[in-house]
Amino acid sequence: MVHSRSSEHPLSKPYCISTDSNCDEFSKTTNRHPVRKEMPDQKKSTDKTLTLKEAIKEFVHDGCSVTLGGFCGRNSQAAAYEIVRQNRKNLTIIDDSPTDQLDILIGAGCIKAVEIAWNGVSIFSLARNLRRSVEEAIPHKIEVQDYSNYAASLRFMAGAMNVPFLPTRSLLGSDIPRHNKRIKIINDPYEGEPIALVPAASPDVAIIHVQRADRHGNAQIWGHLANDENKARAAKHVVVTCEEIVRGEAILKIPNMTALPSYCVDAVVKAPYGSHPWSCYGYYYHDIIFQRDYAKSNQTRPGFLKWIDEWILSCEGQSDYCRKVGKERLLKLAKMERAINRIPV
Amino acid sequence: MSSEGKAKDYSLAELMAVLAAKEIKDGDKVFVGIGIPMIAGFLAIHSHAPNAVLMFEGGYLGSHPPVACTDVGDSVLGFGAPYITSSWRTFSDLQHGYCDIGIIGSAQVDKYGNVNSTAILDNGTYENPKTRLPGSGGANDIASSAGRLLIMARLEKRRFVPRVDYVTSPGHVDGYESRRKTGLKGGGPVAVITDRAIFRFDKDTKEMYLSHLYPGVSVEEVKREISWNLRVAEHIAAVEPPTKAQVNFMRSYDPTDVILRRRRLFESVDFSSWSRLAMSGWNRRTRYA
Repeated sequence: MVHSRSSEHPLSKPYCISTDSNCDEFSKTTNRHPVRKEMPDQKKSTDKTLTLKEAIKEFVHDGCSVTLGGFCGRNSQAAAYEIVRQNRKNLTIIDDSPTDQLDILIGAGCIKAVEIAWNGVSIFSLARNLRRSVEEAIPHKIEVQDYSNYAASLRFMAGAMNVPFLPTRSLLGSDIPRHNKRIKIINDPYEGEPIALVPAASPDVAIIHVQRADRHGNAQIWGHLANDENKARAAKHVVVTCEEIVRGEAILKIPNMTALPSYCVDAVVKAPYGSHPWSCYGYYYHDIIFQRDYAKSNQTRPGFLKWIDEWILSCEGQSDYCRKVGKERLLKLAKMERAINRIPV
Repeated sequence: MSSEGKAKDYSLAELMAVLAAKEIKDGDKVFVGIGIPMIAGFLAIHSHAPNAVLMFEGGYLGSHPPVACTDVGDSVLGFGAPYITSSWRTFSDLQHGYCDIGIIGSAQVDKYGNVNSTAILDNGTYENPKTRLPGSGGANDIASSAGRLLIMARLEKRRFVPRVDYVTSPGHVDGYESRRKTGLKGGGPVAVITDRAIFRFDKDTKEMYLSHLYPGVSVEEVKREISWNLRVAEHIAAVEPPTKAQVNFMRSYDPTDVILRRRRLFESVDFSSWSRLAMSGWNRRTRYA
């Protein structure tokens, strides 16, 4: 197993060291999915640390389906950038509202289809790459399957529960089911009233950014959970990227904060500022100015190409990207966040 | 907040936020999205509805942030939030019926308050639209299950159409009892707040009618922007301009001008000025007690 080689987190605390922990009993694997004969070996490993490069190479393949964690905050931004660097093709993104991570992937030509509820760039603009793709086939046409955010949430919950669908009172009376044939409106077999069914989602890989994880993959989340507990459990493989890799003792101190247990995690990647420009609760605030500038560049195709060249392709990896954004700026965002939210240690 | 002292200098965005805030009652659980609806929610809890609970789809509930923010999963919404949870839980609470009022934006709206935020088809199709928009997000869920629904819209002929190209978020569907028959449990739209007038819905036919005009706007001017034969209330009321206190609150709540966009400050501000301005807003208030 290859150990994490990424640079130290500027906020790293004394317990964030890279030795084995005593968390073994918590990471025992169980057969979570009865239809699967065996757990993938990777999930049984006691040290799942990989670099971001290695994790994307190993788990995100051309043509596979991917879901990205977070929700307008704690996003899997670093992982999306790395997917662009590795030039993955024909991906299907299954998600709720994946914002600019998805917009960048579409513009970079990585995407074949999306099953989502919303795509825009924060408050600033429509997702221009989604528009250019659907309206003008630039760089190519992608298929769009529309859901609502609750429908998307329930798809991951159904996947996590290993049931084929879940019912909802959303979607009724709208055109969403008319154009998305995977949504069914039936009469509830008990009371006879109309109800919508949404199909389970089981993406090939979920990439979830969290604040802290141990080497086994026990991952702790502060702030909003979005749909990440269910996204991870619904996916066949799970890559956790985190601000800090901590000792098992740190996890055991506050086990209530463990959103993803190690048995559903395949890889643990240290990716400091992995959500930038989005906020990461307790770690750094939302770099709205960076995002405003992305939205400006992205108004035109040449502007977008220049942007990914500058901020993604010419950066070797996440550390390089962080250097480019600037240490002072990142520390300022960290200072801003600490003024509003602190994670108890 | 004092009701005296009407503001002379205010923007239409600020007036819309004040009018939306007025629809929020004390104690309401309010599902709000980004932009003006969020400012309206914060204005309400800092004025006439201190016990209202704001719900954000990322999973922040009851937030009391020191300033407004741009997104529904922003970490500043963790400030003063008594409960932080997941998206599916927040939406399940909405579907259960906990949410009294929801506020959504729109690209197109029709005479029964159905909203389109998915695609402008023009002569195209869903697969090949003229303009692809961001999609539902949580709007369909809010429109389906909120007790009352407020729709924010710009009053333009191309936006007010007899039937939207695509129903992203259901209003009163085809009018009369049609909404209830689809199985929807939420009450549906109660008002459309625009930049020149407010519309409400007939209690029987569920058709939209003109109920309030902004200062200096005529019925004819509104009718010109509506592409069907608009019904008009017998007595049209004029909306009250915002108070100075309301305007001051909103401006101080948006110190970087990222939502109200009154001064074009946000378009050019650099990182260090922005962070200084944002933090000056945060430092004004102390943590929720």
